Amino acid sequence: MHPDISSWEDLDGGEILPLFYDEDRLVLLTRDPYWLFAYWEFSGETKTNVEATVQKPWEELEFALRVHRFSEGNREESYYDIKINPSALNWYIQVGVPDRQYRVDLGYYPPGKGFVPVLTSNLVSTPRDNLSEVIDDKWRLPDWQARRFYRRIARSSLSSLEMMLQREKRYREAKKKGGFSLD
Amino acid sequence: MTKGYLALILHAHLPYVRHPEYAHSLEEKWLFEAITECYIPLIRVFQELKGDGVPFCLTFSLSPTLLAMLEDPFLQERYANYLSRMQELAQREEERTAGDPVFSPLARMYRENLNYVSYIYNEKYGRQLVRPFKELQQSGHLELITSAATHGFLPLLAIHKEAVYAQLAAGMAYFEQVFGFLPRGIWLPECGYDPGFEEIMGELGLHYFIAATHGILYASPRPKYGVYSPILTPGGTAAFGRDPETSHQVWSAKEGYPGDYNYREFYRDIGFDLDLEYVGKYLHPPGLRSNTGFKYYRITGPDNYKEPYNPQRAADKAREHAANFIFNREKQVEYYGGLMDRPPIVVAPYDTELFGHWWFEGPQWLKYLCRLLADNQYIEMITPGRYLEKGYPLQLSTPNASSWGDKGYYEVWLNGENDWIYRHLHQAAKRMIALASDFPEAEGILRDALTQAARELLLAQSSDWPFIMTAGTMDMYARARQTSHLTRFLKLERQIRKNSIDAAWLKKLENADNLFPQLDYHLFQPMSGTVPIERDKLPVI
Repeated sequence: MHPDISSWEDLDGGEILPLFYDEDRLVLLTRDPYWLFAYWEFSGETKTNVEATVQKPWEELEFALRVHRFSEGNREESYYDIKINPSALNWYIQVGVPDRQYRVDLGYYPPGKGFVPVLTSNLVSTPRDNLSEVIDDKWRLPDWQARRFYRRIARSSLSSLEMMLQREKRYREAKKKGGFSLD
Repeated sequence: MTKGYLALILHAHLPYVRHPEYAHSLEEKWLFEAITECYIPLIRVFQELKGDGVPFCLTFSLSPTLLAMLEDPFLQERYANYLSRMQELAQREEERTAGDPVFSPLARMYRENLNYVSYIYNEKYGRQLVRPFKELQQSGHLELITSAATHGFLPLLAIHKEAVYAQLAAGMAYFEQVFGFLPRGIWLPECGYDPGFEEIMGELGLHYFIAATHGILYASPRPKYGVYSPILTPGGTAAFGRDPETSHQVWSAKEGYPGDYNYREFYRDIGFDLDLEYVGKYLHPPGLRSNTGFKYYRITGPDNYKEPYNPQRAADKAREHAANFIFNREKQVEYYGGLMDRPPIVVAPYDTELFGHWWFEGPQWLKYLCRLLADNQYIEMITPGRYLEKGYPLQLSTPNASSWGDKGYYEVWLNGENDWIYRHLHQAAKRMIALASDFPEAEGILRDALTQAARELLLAQSSDWPFIMTAGTMDMYARARQTSHLTRFLKLERQIRKNSIDAAWLKKLENADNLFPQLDYHLFQPMSGTVPIERDKLPVI
């Protein structure tokens, strides 16, 4: 080996990737129009404080993720709680509604009391899985043309084939019921 | 009369893999194979077309990590050695098959191909493979663009706007260093787009990027012309949407061109078929079964029975497929053109590594395609940059979050196999931003350490590591790389904070992870409008 060439181990310098960083952190990521992913950690200090407040060991606390959903314009539409194990480090959250904003709190239920948030996440959005309902009048195709346009794209898509086929199917079904229009 | 435009886009990318510490790195072969089987055969096609005066143009995206490897003297030396070993094998193959009417011409074909590769690589360009690309850009045949610095999957790094900015800006800066001009467009890695990127791209002066089909289709307001006209994002950068029909024709498992029975079979390689005693010393690493590129059979059919490859029949097929592709484009632009006030643009992006490596006849197909299009009065080849120069008014709209990965969003890079990486990647980005903020005017060794920290972070952010973890092959390597760059970053950060930089170790790191020599760590300086994660912590009650 050449003298100025170092081994992989040498370059890593004996460092080991830590599991945690001893800080309070709850990060929310979007996976797709229906799912989010959250990971978190509590600092030692926060753990101690919570335990002191409720007079219970951490492992015996009832933890939950509170998922807040916001519509455009930041109006809170709803929230719900997901109970989680105190040892969980991350969670895939099925939020189920595309084109919305979400924020998550991680907290616990003190005995006999309501939810107490400890960490709160960043705000994320789920993508649309649909054509936008917003139409710029200067850029509007007549309905019959728009139908022709989008139907061919939907028919031939590969990367988003599944989604588009589902959408087309839903469109047809909805159409049968007279429910909604693609245009 | 032009009825429609075809914008072919080839995106070439490989992760930065360079291991002087090993005599043979399995993963370095990714680059070697791509040079031999894809990049040089494509250069050959382009130069041939140019030489014959065929008017063609397409867009070629070269990722910064690939550029850095092509520019690296150590890898150049290793590739040259690899190539000469392959040439030696070619000679032995010709001897072995001598007199065989079927296999001997195939062995000769490979020898001639490799000789040409060597001529281009060693003689004509003196190992500087970016030069032919530059020539083709200058002659107007290629529009060269690039990608994020280490091909980071940006939507999952975007909790720090700075990380997205640094990936893009560092990639563009390196491209400029290599080619002498800034790219007009950018290939967002894996077409990963999240609303908000358009502002950053606008700030960087980018004219366009490519989005997944549904990124444009589901844009808001609803794009009048779907993916057949670019839209203008609020940041001022245009977004071109991938056409689903052209991707289907190439990629479809059933009907896609590369699966034609006359084309060469990828999975029958002498590296697996012949005695180790004979072929072993040409394998990489020696003695371990792997592909050599010498493949003598055609796909033949759906089962294991394979017939010998017939280059003439395959070439005829490639020509037929090129004609079929054009026929379908004519129908397509006729259909959409009737609904539009301008000729539709069909944007067809592909991974470059498909052409020649997986689809051996891909470069030939492309050659026939360009030749046939030269005489076609309805379809005109174009690049996104030139399309924008035509000045069609563009609709203002914001694309939808999307990628071109499986299922269309982010799951390929965020699932049970790889989700553990984000805790560390985000932590490292946060710390890098803090470093850039706390040391605005570093000099000397401090500056070197900050720069190397930025390099390690960028390397850790490569989309390739989580992608490989998902794919499940070579995932040990991907996990090791992921972990190493993160730990190297963390150790550097600690040394910088403690003012105790280990100069000897830093030097070693600089020699090993040596890409982007002029990288500016200031790219990570805090920007306004960052998602304020830290500040959002609630008080403990």
